[in-house]
Amino acid sequence: MTKIRIGRRAALAGGVAALANPAVVRAQGSGGTANPIKLATLTPLTGAGGPYGPVMAKAAASVVEEVNKAGGVLGRRIVLVSEDDQTNPEAAVRAARKLIDVDKVSAIMGTWASSVTTAVAPLCWESKTFLCTVSGADSITLLPHQGFLIRTQPNSRLQVTRVGEFILSLGAKKAFTMIPQTPFTQSTFDTLNQVLPKGGCTHQSLIYDDKKTTYRTEVDQALRTSPDVILANGYTPDTVVLLKDLYRAGFKGKILGFAYSINQKLVDQVGQPEVVEGVYTFAPSPAEGSGAYEKVKAATGSANPDPYTCQVYDHASLVLMAMASAKAATGEAIKENIRKATVSGGKVVDNAVDGIKEIMAGGKVDYAGASGPCDFDEKGDILDCKFRYDQIKAGKFTLVKIA
Amino acid sequence: MLSYLLFIATIGGIYGLLALSLNLIWGGVGMVNLGLAGFFAVGAYASALLTTVGHGPIAAGWLMALVAGGVAGLVVTLSTTRLRADYLAIVTLGFAEAVRLVAANEIWLTRGTDGISGIPGPWKRALGPDFNAVYFLIVLVALLVVFFLMRRIDRSPYGRALRAIREDAQVAQVAGKPVLRFKTEAFVLSAAIAGLAGALYGHFTSYIAPDMFLPLITIYIFLAVASGGTGRPAGALVGAYVVMTLLESSRFFVEWIPGVTAVQRAALKELLIAVALILVLRLKPSGVLPERIPRARVPPAPRPS
Repeated sequence: MTKIRIGRRAALAGGVAALANPAVVRAQGSGGTANPIKLATLTPLTGAGGPYGPVMAKAAASVVEEVNKAGGVLGRRIVLVSEDDQTNPEAAVRAARKLIDVDKVSAIMGTWASSVTTAVAPLCWESKTFLCTVSGADSITLLPHQGFLIRTQPNSRLQVTRVGEFILSLGAKKAFTMIPQTPFTQSTFDTLNQVLPKGGCTHQSLIYDDKKTTYRTEVDQALRTSPDVILANGYTPDTVVLLKDLYRAGFKGKILGFAYSINQKLVDQVGQPEVVEGVYTFAPSPAEGSGAYEKVKAATGSANPDPYTCQVYDHASLVLMAMASAKAATGEAIKENIRKATVSGGKVVDNAVDGIKEIMAGGKVDYAGASGPCDFDEKGDILDCKFRYDQIKAGKFTLVKIA
Repeated sequence: MLSYLLFIATIGGIYGLLALSLNLIWGGVGMVNLGLAGFFAVGAYASALLTTVGHGPIAAGWLMALVAGGVAGLVVTLSTTRLRADYLAIVTLGFAEAVRLVAANEIWLTRGTDGISGIPGPWKRALGPDFNAVYFLIVLVALLVVFFLMRRIDRSPYGRALRAIREDAQVAQVAGKPVLRFKTEAFVLSAAIAGLAGALYGHFTSYIAPDMFLPLITIYIFLAVASGGTGRPAGALVGAYVVMTLLESSRFFVEWIPGVTAVQRAALKELLIAVALILVLRLKPSGVLPERIPRARVPPAPRPS
């Protein structure tokens, strides 16, 4: 009996002390304007999403910084808390719980992996915290989220339809898809099986385990059908291995993949330019040339920021403008007003500072975001989006088209 | 803050159950079970499926998780009776991966990588914000029941027999102990507890997916048992809370450090956890609460005749 009492007490005291102490210190440290508004990013800083999360957090921070410089929202300063979801739903749930219960944020922005978003979403709608995500799985907006969720990423059906059309435009007759088991695997197959036969192209596919260290048997299986286009639809770590194995097996056809996995990091990791030469990549395109896009460029110091970074920039801008419209900073207020930041016929703005100013002056705004127009349907899905196609030439990504 | 602490205490309790399960089989019998995450997943899925697809009551789900975990444990032990040490470790690791792959690919049953969402929690709607507190009590009760059971086993002749097998199975066999029966029973019990932990986890967070049952969780629990004290239930329990406290408190510590970016903070967090665990194992190699082996009573010296 005595033994456990010591054990529990020690553990509890340790936990409480460790957890409570810094919170007190932070509360004092934030000082200045009383009662700041708290927002959070929950992006993958480590794990498979590691190449994206850090820049995404930076983009959101740049919006917050600008708005703070211009005097904040509703006379209150904004504090942004950035947590790491580790690209792992178990860790993400713990991080989200901390953001919701300890930091009491009104919105969480930038969840990336679909499994993470699905795990975190219930915590958000139960605690009336607003969630903005860049995950593409169709199932996400079908969750009973009561309006507490929007996503700026086109859903996988829309994306894969465009992929299929692109495969047809490459003149493919036999396409093959290699994909790990993910929340969008089934809808990828279904969509391609609809789109490709219409253009006279057959389609076959296999599902592989994304934690394997070699894909020789999978590559053999694919090449046996002598495809002329292979869609390599995994994440970065497994696609590195897959592309090498395809090269070793002497595959001469065209390879196409999503830009979230075939990126500069992949090219660096592969290390041999001939392996990735001629590979096509595909991504929802940011609104290149728009004012907001230029701002993302400046904030991240990158010449062509990826779509997720642009989307998170828009998340932060939309959430802050929604608060201004609502004259309140709760998750509930954001939910009711998020669509008021993109009213057609309103004054076109490309950043949150101008938007908030216009709204406070009683006007209507139509935010033109870095990722696109940012109009959502009632389920929270984005209505319209452009797509961008690149090809790797001599180790460099060169633009094929934006359409 | 309070509801966050309750949340962490609940997850810590679930880790505690896993640690007790591992301590029984690893600390007690000396069988290295790297498949803990697999049994955790089996329990979580069994209960989630029974309560969502089967619309069964939650208590039945928990019972089902115990049974499913136990049956999985039985299958694994009976198919590995001739394996020991490293070989057993590899097979159990393979078992956990197989469970995860089945969960990811048998979409008709497990909904694949979409995972199962909307798993009911007990009285969740009625309780509202008090749900975390009530659920913590439920986990605490389960934890205490299992803890006292483990301590009872630890101190009983049964526990001594298990330890004898751990030290030298051959000697135990020679002494007339049915080694295989002991091993099987202990493994089944341990797997059933891991299954229960899985069910408690699923009904708490309302969502499970194959990605949650990566080998990482097994490693956390090994760290918990090793740092708490292998072979002593109280050690496993303390170890689980030590690991959970490290995982969560490091979040707040890194927020203090000025002038680091979010990525550096995430990396520092992982570094802090590693350093702390290395320190624990360096300074207390047998854990915070090391195993206590009761002294054998010295039989009275024979009277000189």
